[in-house]
Amino acid sequence: MIVTVQKPLDEVLDSISPYSKILIAGCDGCTQPPRGLREAKVLSQLLELAGKLRDKEFQFKVTTLVKQCDSFLTASALKPQMDGVEAVLSLACGAGVQTIAELFPDIPVLPAQNSHFVGVEDREGGILVESCAACGDCLLALTGGICPVTRCSKGLLNGACGGANNGKCEMDPARDCAWELIFKRLERQGKLDRIKELRPPRNYQAKAWRLTP
Amino acid sequence: MNQQVAEPEVAIKLNEDYCSRCSICRSLCPFEAITKDAESGKIVLEIEKCQVCGICYSACPAKAIDTIYYDCDSLLKYLERVKPQYKSDSLVIMCKGSAPDFAGVERLFGVSKFIPLSVPCVGRIPEELLLQALAMGIKTIYLLACDEDYCRFDRGSPLTGRRVLALNRLLEQLGYGREALTLKRNSLKVKVDKDLCISCGNCAFYCPYGAASLDSPGGAKFDLDACRGCGLCVAVCPAIALDLDNWERERISTLIPQLLAEMKSPKILVFRCQWAVFSPLDGESNPHTRAIELPCSARVDAFHILEAFQNGADGVLIVACPEEDCRQEGASAKAQHWMEALQKRLNQIGFQDRLHFCFVARRYPEQLDKELQQFRQGIEAVVSKRKGK
Repeated sequence: MIVTVQKPLDEVLDSISPYSKILIAGCDGCTQPPRGLREAKVLSQLLELAGKLRDKEFQFKVTTLVKQCDSFLTASALKPQMDGVEAVLSLACGAGVQTIAELFPDIPVLPAQNSHFVGVEDREGGILVESCAACGDCLLALTGGICPVTRCSKGLLNGACGGANNGKCEMDPARDCAWELIFKRLERQGKLDRIKELRPPRNYQAKAWRLTP
Repeated sequence: MNQQVAEPEVAIKLNEDYCSRCSICRSLCPFEAITKDAESGKIVLEIEKCQVCGICYSACPAKAIDTIYYDCDSLLKYLERVKPQYKSDSLVIMCKGSAPDFAGVERLFGVSKFIPLSVPCVGRIPEELLLQALAMGIKTIYLLACDEDYCRFDRGSPLTGRRVLALNRLLEQLGYGREALTLKRNSLKVKVDKDLCISCGNCAFYCPYGAASLDSPGGAKFDLDACRGCGLCVAVCPAIALDLDNWERERISTLIPQLLAEMKSPKILVFRCQWAVFSPLDGESNPHTRAIELPCSARVDAFHILEAFQNGADGVLIVACPEEDCRQEGASAKAQHWMEALQKRLNQIGFQDRLHFCFVARRYPEQLDKELQQFRQGIEAVVSKRKGK
């Protein structure tokens, strides 16, 4: 899922300050932590309180969308709600923000989140970890299901670099050496010969930005 | 350093002078807080283990145990005072843990006029109170206990069942008819609106009882037999698809402006776990403070806190049980975590020091007063600063 972090509220306040009638749009899709109706309502309450301290009266409408990045679903859900709306504050990732912006080119669409990465949520530890760089050239079959692009600090395709210390990365001792993990995983699966396969350099030029599958 | 350490006031005490060492309290205590000293034969109450359920108080034949919460004398005085107000000779004694609203009681017992009395566990009600209430002119007494496996104090509800059985036999012999006392059981559980569920799995992850699960497709599913009504899932559902019997979001939302309207500045609204401190029988008298009880501090909802500020609260205090006392599998620690996150966001908009979270153990009733006093001083400073501007 797409991991997003709430922007500092003063930055959000700054961006919405020229407008009064604002629609806050949550997203029930893959944004993690979930930014659905609850988050939209809580944010509207916080911004309303902040407005009062600054002698500014906002009128918020709150809604949530099944998948904000789905332009068909978002168009049909938002159209009936846009009457009188001066700006939209989106709780989705950048893709969701841009979807609404394309659909309603006359209305400013403002992001309430910073989108960070495609990742997983470790609920026990309360942390979110990047797991996929969407590189367009998946190597996971060769690396025991551990991605060196995101999990190796150096993004090496042919590791290990030799700098690891007790299984930890020389660049960030809090981080496990991805290549050591890959080595152990392959060993466990009896596929250690895979590590000898040379993975050619990735062709960054070819990274797709538009696809017709 | 010649500091004297004052003994803190405790909610429940054993008076050795009256104790006959019969050990009934020891056998009933659900928390092994009462022991017998092997050498002296004395009964010892270890306050640190005590959860203040009051079962020992209700069972002591020698009246050697005193409690500051809902003791028999205060309850009787209270009943005498309120009986004329309600113009009824039916009394309904309910455990707070499963007490429904007025209409719910009517449905359960089929009575429309009654004197309501909710207490933290009916297991703390001694037989004496029931008999005295009958002597006072009350004709029928209805007792509402929690379902046995829902009882927050494990033995309170089963014990009440045995008491009612024995007392009814006795009362029949005395000519009170067969059913002077009627006992029913209830529990308050989660409700899910399937149409709103977005299948995020928060409820399944956070439920302390493993009562929630997520099916794909199909959304959240609840095993209501396992649900213990803490309301934690309700507070974390991002889709607002969950609610809790009798603790409905709307009901609390209606209460907030009502309470704030009757308060005087500086206004402090307290959201507290109903087990952290037992509310006074006569309600709050301090004009600066009102409390909203919750089934567990983990039910506290960011909505409600922000609504309180929107309706003019100067401060909001959240009162939770310490993790080791939490009757909901340590859910109160989760509440602390969420409140810290909300505090950070409030700080960002200029609401510093307006929300405070504290742990209060019901065995030390003075703790809440201390927390409240300290918080009030901070809030007064915030209010005077605001006026100075």
